[in-house]
Amino acid sequence: MIPLLILTPLILLAALGAVWKARPVHAALLLALALALIAVLYLTIGADFIGLVQFMVYVGAVAVLIVFSLLITRPGDEAEELARRPRSVVTGLACTLPVLWVLVYVVSRLCNLPAGTLENPAFSVAQVGQVLFTSYAPAVLTVGVLLTAVMIGAAMFAREPSKKPPFPSDS
Amino acid sequence: MTPLVLLLTLSTLLFTLGLLAVLTRRNAILILVGIELMLNAANVNFIAFWRYGPPDPDLTGPMFVLFSIAIAAAEAAVGLAIILMVFRHTRSTDLNRLDSLHG
Repeated sequence: MIPLLILTPLILLAALGAVWKARPVHAALLLALALALIAVLYLTIGADFIGLVQFMVYVGAVAVLIVFSLLITRPGDEAEELARRPRSVVTGLACTLPVLWVLVYVVSRLCNLPAGTLENPAFSVAQVGQVLFTSYAPAVLTVGVLLTAVMIGAAMFAREPSKKPPFPSDS
Repeated sequence: MTPLVLLLTLSTLLFTLGLLAVLTRRNAILILVGIELMLNAANVNFIAFWRYGPPDPDLTGPMFVLFSIAIAAAEAAVGLAIILMVFRHTRSTDLNRLDSLHG
């Protein structure tokens, strides 16, 4: 419980920075920090494998991808962002607060439950492999197809359009 | 406050922050940052309900998170590829400037 009490405010502070920082690269790096802290959270509550996957995929791949995209696109300075911030924050809060209210209401209903005696034990990687290739085998295969399609699609989107006409015989 | 409620509160606030980022940011890449925060909030929920829930030999919660992470990675890759393609056409990732379909 103590590690959770320390980690939760840290995650929220990092996420708040990622939302609030006007300079895009700072926001992306704070997102990486928040994702890394969430990985630590998973490690402390017994989901070790998920924590490591989170670290590799989110911190290692997604956050780095976002930082590199920012470097490629080189967004303008933050003056424009700061200038329109008051209006956009008011609109954003007006749309977000009802959602927050609903979520807080749902969570507050759970506070009345008896204090948790239920606790699943930490699981081993062998167990993960066991269920992944028996109960969840169709899902694993589907994700494989999805990732292949995504790889081809992203490569097609990102490649430099060729100067040559697609059908040379027509020209 | 039980650990379950603490984790659910964390997830609630993370989701709200992500939604706020999506609604207030104008840079397409920073909107993707908000979407990542919302996906992570959902993952924290799955792990919390698995850990402090009834016995679960099939590891439903962690497995759901595993697939969710795979799909989030795919979404980020395609999203950033599309943003880079838009950037190549318009030299900007500011969504306010992408108004060529505006009536």
